[in-house]
Amino acid sequence: MAEIEERVVPHEPGLGESVGARWRPAGFLLALPSLAVFVGVGFIPLALIATWSFWSFDPDTYWIKPAWSFASYAALLENGRATVFLRTAGLAALTATASTLLAVPAAGVVGLLSGPRRAALLLALFTIPFFTSGLVRAFAWRLVLGRQGVINNALMSLGIVETPVEWLLFSDFAVLLGMVAAYLPFAIVPIVLAFKRIEHSVIRASQDLGAGFWTVLATIVLPLVLPGIVAGFLFVFVVAVGTSMEIQLLGGAGASSISIMIDDVLRVVNFPLAFAIATVVITLLTVLIITANRALGLSRLFESLGI
Amino acid sequence: MAHSIGNGSPPGVFSQLTRRQLVQNGVLGAGALAVGSLGLPRAARALDEINFWATGTLDIGDDGWRTFANDSGVKVDFTDNGNDPGPVVAKLAAGNANDIYDVAGLQGGSEKELARRGLVAPWDISQIQNYASVWQWAKDIPYLTHDGKAYGIPTVINADSIIAVRGKAGSVDSYGAIFDPKLKGKTAMEDAWINSVIFTAIYLKNSENAKIDEPGNLTADELGLVMEFLIKHKRDRQFRTFWNGWEQGLQLLANQEVWVMTGWEPIVYAARMRGVDCYYAVPKEGYEGWANNTILLKSAVVRGRTKAAHQLVNALFSGFYGCKLGLLRGYVVPTDNNVAYATAHTNAFDPASVRKLAEHVKQKFAGKIYWQNTRPDNFQLYETWWQRLRNA
Repeated sequence: MAEIEERVVPHEPGLGESVGARWRPAGFLLALPSLAVFVGVGFIPLALIATWSFWSFDPDTYWIKPAWSFASYAALLENGRATVFLRTAGLAALTATASTLLAVPAAGVVGLLSGPRRAALLLALFTIPFFTSGLVRAFAWRLVLGRQGVINNALMSLGIVETPVEWLLFSDFAVLLGMVAAYLPFAIVPIVLAFKRIEHSVIRASQDLGAGFWTVLATIVLPLVLPGIVAGFLFVFVVAVGTSMEIQLLGGAGASSISIMIDDVLRVVNFPLAFAIATVVITLLTVLIITANRALGLSRLFESLGI
Repeated sequence: MAHSIGNGSPPGVFSQLTRRQLVQNGVLGAGALAVGSLGLPRAARALDEINFWATGTLDIGDDGWRTFANDSGVKVDFTDNGNDPGPVVAKLAAGNANDIYDVAGLQGGSEKELARRGLVAPWDISQIQNYASVWQWAKDIPYLTHDGKAYGIPTVINADSIIAVRGKAGSVDSYGAIFDPKLKGKTAMEDAWINSVIFTAIYLKNSENAKIDEPGNLTADELGLVMEFLIKHKRDRQFRTFWNGWEQGLQLLANQEVWVMTGWEPIVYAARMRGVDCYYAVPKEGYEGWANNTILLKSAVVRGRTKAAHQLVNALFSGFYGCKLGLLRGYVVPTDNNVAYATAHTNAFDPASVRKLAEHVKQKFAGKIYWQNTRPDNFQLYETWWQRLRNA
């Protein structure tokens, strides 16, 4: 498989490799502004958050003091906070899985079966939801799924049910539906990129050798788009882990998520605990992304695309 | 009243500078934005100009503030602070709000915290002549003072209870309707301990004879009792949902998702406009009173704006502001100067309506009232219990 891929997508050397060692200092200087931004805007704030998560809340000043402690991390295991982590991760995984399953055939149509013009049009259509705010999109589901919503009215008009179906709204089902609808495009784009990398000649060759549709799909197409599928899954997973809107608007009484928990904690100025929650989330997501990249070479998706 | 938890992110620095300012100041406005975001003092302004950072519902609009400036000599630049006390306090403590704003308005309770941390300055009541006209029970709100000094001025006052849909919920005169098994799945509360815990405590204290001293400031044991009660009802699927924000609460009523819910009185008026036959119940257990208090930010004193800030607060009680706010939002500024102003300006306001609104609020406060408190003594324990409720 790897051999085929090497031939399908010839390795294009990066700038540093192609121009020789004498240009490396210049390359470094060119990258310096970006590096400074990354360190200043990204790394330093995160390092501060991680540091402050080990400080303590001072009730006299309502502020934090440098009394080093693991108390905030211990608090993560109390009052159901660990459950919130697991529930959020589970919901995000479900959302990412459903989005990915829906995205694969859609991306296949765009990336493999459409010409450039139609592919551009279809991709543009997938971005339409982003032309309105997420809040409005999530709120609209209440009008669709509610007791007097479109679905219940239709079901009762058709005589399928006599009373409104309660669990359509303010339930995990509603949250999942709202999240999949909102984040599906995040899965589609990387999978389209993966499909675009497949050389049609490879598929034709396999067909010449007698492979049927399912054989081609299972042994040629899916292995080649797997990095895109994983990237799509991760994109949705990361966004879904951080969301609160759909959960607050469509979930049941007091439904929670990691970001809702952070909001709750900040509301009572328990900064060390909020920082500890954020540190755990960022650490776990970073490990997840690095692991996935090492295992599947996700960054290869962006090679040969000038990205 | 949008007086607890707002939706979404609080406004960023950019949104905290009004379009009007940017147009007025042009490039200077952009400069001020940049400087403000660095936590440095803003560009110089006229000494009679005050940046007022308060709950959006306290805004009386450009026309209103223009008249206000003509009457008082204080030019107000109003910015919505999103109202949620958490982000407001955080922006004062760790953000640049003190560099940008002079005076703030927020739900009462965090004055002690802000004063202890040196983020606000005490008011000099002697410089607020109209304070004498403020209704006494408003002056007596316990958390307005700290160490004998006045840190909060009760600018807007009301009392909250229960919204009920007529013909669906029956005759509601108790918070017990929220927990009534006959209304299972048809009730809602706000997704905020600031209001939902005190409502429940008021009910348990007065109708279930629970040993609760002050519903707005529960001890650890009292809080445990209240929260276990809420958790039980959540597990029994009593609540359709917990709501966040004005529009969500309104939609729950308008679409018949709930028949009874704790909520804000203006939601009743808005729901009626959408054709929902609902009413605001008079609970036998008493109301949850709340006050939106005006606080003087410490940096305003440093910038020499103390006099103008006091002028602003004095003018808030002069009558025009109360009339205008009552007309726009149905909220009451606790002074009889509103009626006097309307009587003297019948071309602008209807004295009978202004009087009726004042009497309506006074009527509420004539009975049992328990004050909302955004910072009870055990406030972090409240969050801990709320987390347990979320996970129940």
